[in-house]
Amino acid sequence: MNQFTKKTSPSGDGVETGRQNTPWIAGLIFKMALMMIIIFAAFFARVHLNDKTEQLAREKTLITRQIQERQTEIQSLRIQIANLRRWENINSKIREYNLALRSANPSQLRYMKRFDARVETSSPFGGDTRVADTSTGIPSSESGTIH
Amino acid sequence: MTLFRSMAIRMALVYILLICGFGYVVQALYGVQIARHGELFEKAQNTYTTRIKTHGVRGEIYDFGGSLLVGNMPTMDIIGDPANILILNKKDEEEADRECRMIADFFAEKCGNVNADEVYRRLTRRTITTTNADGDKVEHDCHYAVIATGIEYNAAKTLKDEVKELAFHGVSFTSSYRRNYPKDTMLANILGLTNFDADKFIPVQGIERTLDEAMTATSGSMVYERARNGSSVSFANSKSEPTLDGYDIYLTIREPLQAIVEEELDLMCERVKPHAAWAVLVDPTTGDVLAAAQRPTFNPNDRGTMNSESSKNRLSELALEPGSIMKPFVISYALDRGFVTPGTIVDCEQGVWKYAGRLLHDTHNVGKVPVTEIIKQSSNIGTAKVSVMMGQKNLDTALRSFGFGQKTGIQLRPETSGIFRPLEKWDSLSVSRFCIGQGIAVSPLQLARAYCMIANGGYKVNLRLVDRIERGNDVRVMPVIKEKTSIFANPETTKKMITEMMIGVTEAGGTCTEAAIEGFHVAGKTGTAQKVINGAYSNRYYASFVGFVPAEAPKFVLLVTCDDPTVGSRYGGSASGPTFKAIAERTLKYLHVQPQLSREEWLAERSAAQKALHERKVREDAIVQARREERDRQLKAEKTKETAKRTTTATATASTATSTSANRPRTVSASAAAAARSTLVRR
Repeated sequence: MNQFTKKTSPSGDGVETGRQNTPWIAGLIFKMALMMIIIFAAFFARVHLNDKTEQLAREKTLITRQIQERQTEIQSLRIQIANLRRWENINSKIREYNLALRSANPSQLRYMKRFDARVETSSPFGGDTRVADTSTGIPSSESGTIH
Repeated sequence: MTLFRSMAIRMALVYILLICGFGYVVQALYGVQIARHGELFEKAQNTYTTRIKTHGVRGEIYDFGGSLLVGNMPTMDIIGDPANILILNKKDEEEADRECRMIADFFAEKCGNVNADEVYRRLTRRTITTTNADGDKVEHDCHYAVIATGIEYNAAKTLKDEVKELAFHGVSFTSSYRRNYPKDTMLANILGLTNFDADKFIPVQGIERTLDEAMTATSGSMVYERARNGSSVSFANSKSEPTLDGYDIYLTIREPLQAIVEEELDLMCERVKPHAAWAVLVDPTTGDVLAAAQRPTFNPNDRGTMNSESSKNRLSELALEPGSIMKPFVISYALDRGFVTPGTIVDCEQGVWKYAGRLLHDTHNVGKVPVTEIIKQSSNIGTAKVSVMMGQKNLDTALRSFGFGQKTGIQLRPETSGIFRPLEKWDSLSVSRFCIGQGIAVSPLQLARAYCMIANGGYKVNLRLVDRIERGNDVRVMPVIKEKTSIFANPETTKKMITEMMIGVTEAGGTCTEAAIEGFHVAGKTGTAQKVINGAYSNRYYASFVGFVPAEAPKFVLLVTCDDPTVGSRYGGSASGPTFKAIAERTLKYLHVQPQLSREEWLAERSAAQKALHERKVREDAIVQARREERDRQLKAEKTKETAKRTTTATATASTATSTSANRPRTVSASAAAAARSTLVRR
């Protein structure tokens, strides 16, 4: 009998013991545990993410509510500003503080000529070709036109 | 064997029971999952699904430069939950009532207009009875009792903190908003107002009503699955329809100019104490209404100031006989069509003229004058004669081409188109009366537009009150509607002629020197029209002044009218002229319009006009004096001749009588005495 082909037990009696199956079972258990860990990890990750999402959603709601509150406050302030900008209010303050504010008489008004640099071109002969409304001395945008 | 059979039967029984059980479960599952799926799913969904109706914000109203005129003021409503108050007090009614009393007293103290007893009554009404579809009365828990509404946002926030501190049960604060008019009375009659009903605004009048559709927000909705704390579950299904805010309205009104007009109108009301007054400022080129004020007015934030008189929008709704401010339309048309020239002499009959069987008067005697003087001196007879010269058809064409009898195109409802009879319904007197503003009714806005046409050379332009509407990036600009052809055949020449005549009105000898402005030529016209009350002319008047400045290149047309001034003069020139001047002067400064003349030039022009007037008066006086002397001389000569004739006759009679005196002495002496008496009486 070829001793190299004969499979013998470590105890030498030829009977297989439980210890011989250990690596196989351990491997299975390890694999199953790993799978379970992965599943649980995925599950917990999902739960955690959901929780995180919910938390962010709550924060978002809170911030949205705060923004709305700020907008409401701004709206309230806009109304107050518009109220304070009433001419009656301004006039009463002018009187209260005795501010010597009054508009000028037409004879006190003086208008300055302003040249538009964009239409200024340099002549090769050095001539001045600046354009201005010489009749009034006022550019059209400042001549009191409404639009 | 028996044992085996017994086991088999038992097994069979167990199998049957199991199968029956399984069948029952399958049937139950079928019932729940398939047969009643829809019903149960909806039931479940309702418990964890929230449906919210979202509301947009109504559009606001601004002036041209973006100054807020009508806004939405955030407010809070305070709501109580009577059923919940009882539950949270462990169903102890006495305790709950005590808390209700505390809540009611607290809010009555903090919010001025809350009645503590009324609030207590509402809070202690814990059930309500409703009638269902079958007509049965059903009792429900009451979860809604209004404690206070429209509490200003900041005040409500403070109250909220206090309520939190006091730990009141069943009190909640809900956000809402109210329409607010931060400028109070400014432009109130034009802006109008809204009422608030449930969760929507009901427009009442003015711009709020006319542009309600554009300003109204579109409601949206939100459906989401909620978590235990009420917040939405982010990974669940949700559905939302967006809300759309209303368009914001930008008017053509300039707030600073509006403030000027309102202030000056108030001063005028103090000065002449009229029944009503109004002023309107318009850009003649575009038809933009720059300012429009009227008195009496009201404060839309305080409805107590409202009544039928103060809430009226006279500018667009009132039709009145305009009086002399109609004259320039007739004269300008007559000049343009060549019926007259500025130099054509018209006999104004010294103040009284009979036409079609009726007398027409001038307020002061005017003789033969050129057409220029008709406008300057506001002669009714002169204008009527020019009108008669034109004929009915031309007068009708003239007045209609200036827009009388038509609406002005302004975005205000209602708007009157005035009263202007069709040509076929004119009587023989119409031609001499319509031209002087009698028998025709026009609105102040129609007048302002017609003067815009004179100022811009005869181009008909629709009045604009709304410049643009905006919602985010969606901007819609209201177009300027202006006709491309002038109603005048010679726009420039006619404009120049009529403007020169109207400048005369504010110069020495004109009817309103009070409206003259230093450094500018002011073209204007006065109007004093008798008010028609119960179909008859009364002793009350509309005193108006309308004009444009600078006369040669008008920046604005301004109409000022006083309805029945009770203090001082009732004439347009005296009552409304000074206010016109004050408004125009301040407006010119605001618009930075450069004076046309220096102070020296202006004063020189004024004194030259004064001198010319004085010279003309001296000349006229001399002519009148010469005529009077001539007439006196003629009368004297006639009288002398007559006296001489009578004396001769008397002498002849006396000599005849002397010869027969022996027979009839008494009779002769009696006839001589009678002749002498008659001479005396005649003298």
